[in-house]
Amino acid sequence: MYSHFLDNDAVQNRNWKVLVYMGVVCLAILILVIRLFFLQYMHYDENFQRSESNRLRKTVLTAERGYIYDRNGNILVRNRPSYQIALQSMSLPRKKDERMVVFNRLLQIRDQDGERLFDSLSLDTAFQRARWIKAHPIRLLEDASEAQVAIIEEHSSELPGIVTLIESRRDYPYGTLASHVLGYTSEISEEQLKKPEYEEYAQGDRIGQKGLEQGYDQEFRGKNGLKLVEVNASGKEVGTVRGVESEAPIPGYHLVSTLDLKLQKVAEEAIPDSAKGALVAIDPRNGEILAMVSSPRLDPNIFSLKKRERNKGWAQVALDSMRPLTNRAISGTYTPASVFKLVTAGAGLEYGVLSVSKYYAKSCTGGYQYGARYQKCWGTHGNLNVVHALRLSCDVFFYQAGLDIDMARINEFAERFGLGTRPLGIDIPGEKGGWLPDSVSFNNKNKRLGWRWARGLILNLSIGQGQLVTPLQQATLIGSLATNKGVYRPHLMKELRDSQGNVVRRYEPELIRPGKMKPETHRVLLAAMDSVVNHPGGTGKRGAIPGIRVGAKTGSGEWKKGAKTHAWFAAVAPLEDPQIAVAVIMEAAGGGGAVSGPIARKVMMAYFGIEDEQKK
Amino acid sequence: MSSGRFLDKSLKFDFVFVVVTFLLMATGVMLVYSTSMASEVEFYNTFWFKQIIYFVGGTILALALIFVKLDWLKSAAIPLYVASLVMLVIVLFFAGDVVKGAGRWIDLGVIKIQPSEFAKIAYLLTISYWLSRHPVSFFNIKSFVVPFGLFIVPFALVLKQPDLSTALVFIAVTLVGFFFAGLSIMDMFLIVSPVLSVLFSHNNSFIFQLLWGILICCVVFVLFRRRLPKFLTVFFLLANILTGYASTMAWNMLEPHQQKRVNTFLDPMSDPLGDGYQVLQSLTAIGSGGLAGKGLGNGSQTNLSFLPEEHTDFIFSVLGEQFGFLGCSFVLGLFILFLWRASSTCKLYSDPFITLLTMGACTIFLFHIVVNVAMTVGLMPVTGLPLPFLSYGGSFALTCMVLVGLLLNMRYQGRRFSV
Repeated sequence: MYSHFLDNDAVQNRNWKVLVYMGVVCLAILILVIRLFFLQYMHYDENFQRSESNRLRKTVLTAERGYIYDRNGNILVRNRPSYQIALQSMSLPRKKDERMVVFNRLLQIRDQDGERLFDSLSLDTAFQRARWIKAHPIRLLEDASEAQVAIIEEHSSELPGIVTLIESRRDYPYGTLASHVLGYTSEISEEQLKKPEYEEYAQGDRIGQKGLEQGYDQEFRGKNGLKLVEVNASGKEVGTVRGVESEAPIPGYHLVSTLDLKLQKVAEEAIPDSAKGALVAIDPRNGEILAMVSSPRLDPNIFSLKKRERNKGWAQVALDSMRPLTNRAISGTYTPASVFKLVTAGAGLEYGVLSVSKYYAKSCTGGYQYGARYQKCWGTHGNLNVVHALRLSCDVFFYQAGLDIDMARINEFAERFGLGTRPLGIDIPGEKGGWLPDSVSFNNKNKRLGWRWARGLILNLSIGQGQLVTPLQQATLIGSLATNKGVYRPHLMKELRDSQGNVVRRYEPELIRPGKMKPETHRVLLAAMDSVVNHPGGTGKRGAIPGIRVGAKTGSGEWKKGAKTHAWFAAVAPLEDPQIAVAVIMEAAGGGGAVSGPIARKVMMAYFGIEDEQKK
Repeated sequence: MSSGRFLDKSLKFDFVFVVVTFLLMATGVMLVYSTSMASEVEFYNTFWFKQIIYFVGGTILALALIFVKLDWLKSAAIPLYVASLVMLVIVLFFAGDVVKGAGRWIDLGVIKIQPSEFAKIAYLLTISYWLSRHPVSFFNIKSFVVPFGLFIVPFALVLKQPDLSTALVFIAVTLVGFFFAGLSIMDMFLIVSPVLSVLFSHNNSFIFQLLWGILICCVVFVLFRRRLPKFLTVFFLLANILTGYASTMAWNMLEPHQQKRVNTFLDPMSDPLGDGYQVLQSLTAIGSGGLAGKGLGNGSQTNLSFLPEEHTDFIFSVLGEQFGFLGCSFVLGLFILFLWRASSTCKLYSDPFITLLTMGACTIFLFHIVVNVAMTVGLMPVTGLPLPFLSYGGSFALTCMVLVGLLLNMRYQGRRFSV
């Protein structure tokens, strides 16, 4: 084992290396000492100044969230100040018994009714946490009333470390009005924080949920500022740090929506909160949504309340079997019912299967025999051409027309005008697409059930029983059928403005479907829509408005045997120059013309500024 | 050499070394105490009291280590090394307790073990043992194979945790091991030169470009002098030039936000509201201490909790604020004395294992000291390396005391042979 030991030369070499090593050690330490000398001697004054009289603190300056206006400049969503009573551990007394004095004083504070402001349990938790959390204040009382703030301010000299902070909270002055369109804000959830698209958000940030609040959250947020402030021993700000620029917050953009407050109000009043239903009013020339209602509604203000009340309100809406959280106007899918006959007729005319002079051999005698099946009609209408059949909404005519035209051509025509599985791409989240079954998609969807496509299914589909559409699609459909100028992407944002009121972004109308048909087809469909309303025998005559040429189509969607039908009414006016298209659905309410017709009429009257004579 | 009774005793037990160690420990406890003076926790729950417990335990362990035979240490090296690898694998794949995003602990219920600390010592023993029997040389490139293999496994496992700073400790120990196992100063220069190349070529200013040019010239000169095997000559030359250019190119390929991230890591002060916040507070604390400091317990930065991690990673700024330049210099002086006494242990004996183990232990201390202090004074990136004897923390205190134990052990157990 001695062979491993070093000989004399090697020992000398080793010792020399140790010397070199110690040289490196001394050099490294010397550099550190020089740096210390530089910091502690040459720059002593400024460092001492900074630490002694001024202590540094990092504060986040929250950017003001943008407002939402209607198209005429009325405020739909704004911010309100909200007072938080909080514990600033930096300025609490250091000694334990002095802290207990503050604690007991807080416990004794009562409001006018003699109720304690704070309960001892949550106060104790806050004081426990204050020993560790020193960077930011700890909330004691959320969303305090002005009276409560006044009481605290009165005693402020006896309560070191207790501060009143002002936050801004969302305020929806019209309550439930357009609640599904506007959405609400809430604190960002743990799951959302983990996703990469929310990288810029921090714990405790309020984030838009649903509706415009979510769709344009990035724009509303603005950018939070940061400030390094110097605070003196009692925690009061005395200034900013020299040489370190603070970042000012950039307020979020204001959004001018396409909604019309007047129209929205009329629509909201026309649909009672006890009923399930939806209404969409859209400008078919550019896709601007003028009013959108989904019933039952929720009050977004509950999300700005105190935690306890917030949770109570949330539980109420989340557990309601009427599903008030769903925006039925964009995510409710219904069978289009007889409104779809416009599409069947349009496809027939477009492909030359139907024409004004075409009469079918079998006239409507209350039903139609197809193979072994006898399909009923809702009335007995006799022999009809396409315009009459639309006016009376005769099923027998469309059974035969549908078999002649074939489903593929009908669906192609429907997709031109916005129906189908592809959503229209409205700028708020949650939109669903519909469904247009043909032999392929039907077999695919029902593979597990073992159902196969059969030609007999065309009978039901040609009168609109079996497809799925959203109310938004229905409004888009009737609007674009009337204009024949293409389908524009429906949207709720008209323009974004910065805090000075300059327009930052404007929503340019965007063509998403061709929405074109032959002029002859267009002429016949317009005539048919016209006669539905303005002919004395039309199914939609309750939608008529004096002085305005309204076109419409009614629908009664069957959804459950024995139950009342879903009442559809899709209208557009004026027919010579369409400006507004309205689709109304009332779930399980009965016939379309009788129930939903008057609702659509009220909205259109409000749009044209015509007073209702019957009311007077 | 004479072997009188008195001399023999001083050979066997280094009194100065022990006193310096205790002084450092006492300073550490005092500083930890000063950071937690205001808290109202019962005294047996305070950081300073726990720190005393750790040190007492560590001292007992170190004293016990003195009586372990040197041959036992040698034969224990490989088993300890294997055990540490197993623990590293366990912590990586099975038992990772996630503390601040990095699973570094094995929780045994009663105590928590930090395998990377254990691995530092096990690796030091193993590499010293191997290199003491198999010197390395550039003229026999195969001699690097086994040491490199021994190094890369624990290094990769620690890096995977991810614990970059501890992984760097492994590099430092290995390089110093090579130095004392055969490589000359010029060889060391060649090994380190590519890193310098990256540093110099990163900056586009004239001075740095000039420095880089000088460096390349030096490398060429050294290569001429050493007459290394051909492929090594080409390797070092290419390594220097390529790393220089490649790093610049790689830098330009990074996205701007990635560049910013690297920049704030290298220079925290470029982001004073984010990563630079800690360093800014630390500099203010140290700088406000002045020449003589504010006195024990009077550090406003410290006591108002402006400093994050004040009792662990940033303990040196606590020292700087309360005891000023004099206090800092005194402690750094103690560290030099400590390292000098420690390294001189190996000069007494001709056993290469003792040399390597001693210098390796010194390197572990030195690396922690320099990286930690440079971080607190804003010269180096913020990493999580604690300061030996001063920072609060059980695992690391134990590591330090085991190393001290090993140093004492070698002095006591080493045998001299006339040559």
